[in-house]
Amino acid sequence: MSDWPRLFESELLRLGLQPVRARQLTDETAQQAAEHAAPPADVFGPAHLYARHLVAELNTPATAQRLAPGPVLLSLTGVSKRYRRRTVFAGVDLRVRGGEVAAIVGANGCGKSTLLKICAGLTRPSAGEVRRTRRVGFVPQDGGTAGWLTAEEHFTLFGAAAGMVPGRARSTGVHLATRLAWRPSRKQPVQQLSGGTRQKLNLVLGELHAPDLLLLDEPYQGFDQGTYLDFWQQVFAWRDAGRAVVVVTHLLHDLQNVDHVLDLGASFEEGQR
Amino acid sequence: MTAFVVASLSAREVSRRWAALALVVALPLWFYLVRRDLAGQSTRMLALGIGWSVSTLTLFVVNASRSVDPRLRLTGASTASIIGGRLAAMSGVGLAVAFGYWVLLGVDQDLLHWWVAGLMMAVTALVAAPLGSLIGALLPRELEGALALLSVCAVQMLADPAGTVAKFMPFWSTREIGTYAVDGGSFDMVWRGLGHAALMWLICAGGTLAIFRWRLRLANYPEPS
Repeated sequence: MSDWPRLFESELLRLGLQPVRARQLTDETAQQAAEHAAPPADVFGPAHLYARHLVAELNTPATAQRLAPGPVLLSLTGVSKRYRRRTVFAGVDLRVRGGEVAAIVGANGCGKSTLLKICAGLTRPSAGEVRRTRRVGFVPQDGGTAGWLTAEEHFTLFGAAAGMVPGRARSTGVHLATRLAWRPSRKQPVQQLSGGTRQKLNLVLGELHAPDLLLLDEPYQGFDQGTYLDFWQQVFAWRDAGRAVVVVTHLLHDLQNVDHVLDLGASFEEGQR
Repeated sequence: MTAFVVASLSAREVSRRWAALALVVALPLWFYLVRRDLAGQSTRMLALGIGWSVSTLTLFVVNASRSVDPRLRLTGASTASIIGGRLAAMSGVGLAVAFGYWVLLGVDQDLLHWWVAGLMMAVTALVAAPLGSLIGALLPRELEGALALLSVCAVQMLADPAGTVAKFMPFWSTREIGTYAVDGGSFDMVWRGLGHAALMWLICAGGTLAIFRWRLRLANYPEPS
């Protein structure tokens, strides 16, 4: 018999839940695992991590009760980028605090992805000043994964880069994947995954080392409707946990829920709170 | 730690590319079989075939990782651990291929210094891995890289081993050590070959590291005040 439910319940109690509530959540979790016909550890990851996640979710305040923005985590002042004689963009200003979401919009070729790479530090600006927090997660528009490795091997690889031991990296990765309604297969190489699932992997890899600032370049390509909604819920969960999120997007209906919109084509920023 | 994980996962990645791996293993065999009747020719061609196949495989592995490396850097990995880990994995694959063919030589040929032939193939594999990395670093596109390696290996095969051009080629050490293994003579040839191989390894590995240090450099932004 698995020890998972007992560990899960004891972690819930340790995190301060009432015994009745902890028992109820343990039963519900066991029921969900049974529906997947798999052990709870396979569905939810390690008991202690899932308990923390669940408690964090329960404690997340509703949108109307959002906390005040935290410290500035990304600041761009007069940033421009030129390739030889061609100016891609110029005079870009953006300031994103912890607990805020910013969207970068604009026509094709206006430099959205380039700007995000500048924010990450992968590309240097031609002029202007960039300040950002050290812990940053970057999710590219496509690529960024090794086709012959499995998702769990990616967790191990990126975890090692962040200084995590392999077991912890794998369990954290699987845990984060479940939040995007995805259970990574242990044997399937990434090249056999659908485009949407590969993007889920990209998202998990960007978040694996718990960065303070997340830079997402149209990360929802290939997502179905349900996953797309899950993605935005995840963005808001990051925001409510005090992280700063910058998303490159071209979907206008995404913009009503974000705090800042930077239109690279029009080169203006407006608050939308 | 990171280098070890990169090495083990790179080796696992290569082991899953069955078709590529089969071709890498088979290529030196064709080189060997063509002149199997001549021990010296077939042994040297076998070693050069190992060099060509291992360097080409490394080139493709380096190119396949191009989109992953910047993310690993951003997550916290050092360039040396990424490049070093991958080089260690490909050197291991090369040594495994070399070992297999060394056993074949022992069974199929009557060489004067069989163990030196093993040294020749091991040295070839160890030079081939950083050579493939360097070409991959210099020429990011696979076709250009593969053609460059083809040129290098073709010149290596055709150049007069005693001439100046051959000494500037990456696998001159293979010819030098191979001559002692097959024909005998002064052991100085082995030392000269090992010296040349060490120098080539340093140039290729150092060059790869320098190029990737530049390519994977991250902007050092100050923290917001």
